[in-house]
Amino acid sequence: MVDSHAIAPAYPALGLLLRVKTRTLWNRTRQAALEAPVRLSAAIVLVSAIWFGLYWLFRIVFDQFKRTPLEATIAIPLVFNFFFVAILVMLAFSNAIIAYGALFGKTESAYLLTSPLTLRDVITLKYLESLVMASWSLILLGLPLMIAMADAAERSVLSAAQRPVFYGLFIAFFLAFIPIPGALGTLLAWAAARFFPRRTIQFAAVAMGVVIAGSIIAGVRSLRLGDSAAEVWLRSFLGQMSFFESAFMPNNWVASGIDHAIHNQLPESFLYLGVTIANALFASWLAVMIVSKYFDRAHDRASAGHARGKRPASPALGGVAGSVFFYLPPPLRLIAAKDLRTFIRDPLQWSQLVILFGLMGLYLTNMPTLRFSFSGSGWFLIIPFLNLCAVSFILATFTCRFVFPLVSLEGRNLWLVGLLPMPRGHVLLAKFAFAMTVTVLVAVATMTLATIMLELDTAWAVIHLVVTMAICFGLCGFAVGIGARLPMFHQTNTARIANGLGGTTNLLASVALVSAVLIGVGMATWRCRGLTVGTLPDSTSLMICGTVVVLSVVAGLVALWIGARHFNRVEV
Amino acid sequence: MNTSDYAIILSGVTKCYGRTVAVRDLSLSVPRGQLFAFLGPNGAGKTTTIKLIVGLLRPGAGQVHVCGCEVGSNGLAAKAQLAYVPDQPFLYEKLTGREFLYFVAEMYGIGAARRDRLLESLIRRLDVGEFLDQLTESYSHGMKQRVVLTAALLHEPAVLVIDEPMVGLDPRAIRVVKNLFVEHTNRGGTVFMSTHTLDIAEAVSDRIGIIHHGELIAAGTLDELRAEARRQHSLEEIFLELTEVDDG
Repeated sequence: MVDSHAIAPAYPALGLLLRVKTRTLWNRTRQAALEAPVRLSAAIVLVSAIWFGLYWLFRIVFDQFKRTPLEATIAIPLVFNFFFVAILVMLAFSNAIIAYGALFGKTESAYLLTSPLTLRDVITLKYLESLVMASWSLILLGLPLMIAMADAAERSVLSAAQRPVFYGLFIAFFLAFIPIPGALGTLLAWAAARFFPRRTIQFAAVAMGVVIAGSIIAGVRSLRLGDSAAEVWLRSFLGQMSFFESAFMPNNWVASGIDHAIHNQLPESFLYLGVTIANALFASWLAVMIVSKYFDRAHDRASAGHARGKRPASPALGGVAGSVFFYLPPPLRLIAAKDLRTFIRDPLQWSQLVILFGLMGLYLTNMPTLRFSFSGSGWFLIIPFLNLCAVSFILATFTCRFVFPLVSLEGRNLWLVGLLPMPRGHVLLAKFAFAMTVTVLVAVATMTLATIMLELDTAWAVIHLVVTMAICFGLCGFAVGIGARLPMFHQTNTARIANGLGGTTNLLASVALVSAVLIGVGMATWRCRGLTVGTLPDSTSLMICGTVVVLSVVAGLVALWIGARHFNRVEV
Repeated sequence: MNTSDYAIILSGVTKCYGRTVAVRDLSLSVPRGQLFAFLGPNGAGKTTTIKLIVGLLRPGAGQVHVCGCEVGSNGLAAKAQLAYVPDQPFLYEKLTGREFLYFVAEMYGIGAARRDRLLESLIRRLDVGEFLDQLTESYSHGMKQRVVLTAALLHEPAVLVIDEPMVGLDPRAIRVVKNLFVEHTNRGGTVFMSTHTLDIAEAVSDRIGIIHHGELIAAGTLDELRAEARRQHSLEEIFLELTEVDDG
């Protein structure tokens, strides 16, 4: 043995790698079906609900378009163009993030890179993997869109026999389009590792923020309603948007192809499909070639970046983190300050919060440019209510993804926590204080901005701010309480903790709580829609709002109590 | 020096992370058929050196050869001769141990009959048969380590590079692994082992290298190291003496 010259040479192994990935997917699905059928069923029910909700929404939009044929002729291609532009940008960034982790961050890639596989096989595998991981949601979003569109057009254009052809073409366009942003994202990931090895995540977060913010500012400016006639505005608007309809833009190939398909113009549609497929294949080949050829340097710099990224911690941060929680007794203050420091030093956490609330802030600060006149109509209450809905669901996203895993992450330190001179359940108070501080600061600041920008009545401003704080209380109570009741102490991956049984339970409970509170506030808003600016809400509306505030606070307290009771006697 | 006579050659290798020099002008050669123990304090540059050997990092200066193949320019040929077991072993969590071993066998072009024959022996020696059909996510660190070692030895590599091989293993498994390493070198294979377990290094290694602050401060047989330290001490005392020089 060990004749170094007789060892089998490496051979193209992409098929083998894909088989392994398929096998892991099969094992994962089988395990979920056998060990957690309730969770799997809940996921299927939720996905189906989202799917039917989207279908219903798209159907309303297309039916609305059909009522005004002239506008529909202009609007539908535009809607599709913008839809695919947005998809192009979002998929490019999500592919970049996933591809970066797959190529430069995972132990699997290190393992494969020491195996006798060609670099091109490994890069191709990672490219395909990130493509699937980043794009499955587009398929989920796309299918109801496709069916709604076909259903809306059925009576006028497509016969029942023609619909299967349309569905086939629609799916083919989606599949052909996905590799284009995928290739772009893979190149972005490589460039980030090659040129920004130390601050890759910060670079990605800032780049994504700049692109999204730029798009929103440009979009809002283009929508700004001036004094000119509608026709002049429409011409100006279409002129500004003409860039996206350029023959060189992939979104235009797909939008035009689908538009032709819906009008049963199959030769034109197939032409655009061919163009899309050809470009997708070329973009994929180019991305894999470039990354394979220059991978070594990027991988080397990314590894070096990870190794030298261990900078000394800022002592000032420790002081600030401690002083924020001045109201807590010393042991709890230390735990809360530790969580705050971890939060600040983890860009993945704060960047998502900054992006989501940054977008809200951008939208709110641009509200005046729309020059809508809300006073004197029910809209002066409806728009702030919609803002409250957006803030609430963003808060639920944050608490489910980042607050919920906090207790589980203490699992490995439970020996230390258990030795602290206080009941173990008090640790939950520190977690709760940390979560409340972050969420209340950000959410109340956003809602205050909203009330100022919309010049909301003081009474309604107070109602919205109190409801926001109550939602923060309820959501943080749920995340910490359920996190302590259904922890995953042996797991260190926060995403897996958030996706586990406890995480799913917390997600469902949070959505239910937010929905209940918003239904209450929505009822009060609806009751007061006829009121003019400056009029106080009636006592029934105030009582409804008070009830949902109490409900949210009590729900949070109950969750915390249940969590603390379990946490006090838990054994790891 | 004929590079193909040696399993591993590092010639004037330097690796920097920004301004930090992780490995400085490292020259080291490991002949075929030897078990080389690579020692050093935490942060001395052991893992960086290993990553340079297996091609996960590129040297800023110098060259690395494995079985006569330059890792930078002929990495694929070099990797075909290697097996690498990192300190945190990788396994696909949603594969069973057996599925993972079959995957490795196929990756190295080993046919089913030869694979089964090799596996039968390794499974028995490393005592992994009991849990081989469970998903690897349920394995303890020691179980993972044993399966990864099985995978590493499956294709009978010319060079086995291993980072902290005994962590998480019980005494019986440690004995088995030590015997496997010795058998591997007896058959002409080479083992390059980084470890903090000095008594194991002392017991099984043919040569020992000590790295400190990125520089190779000593290399040779245990007797040569004793001579260098000018004392008839254990490896532990020699190691402490040599690595305390710079610390003053």
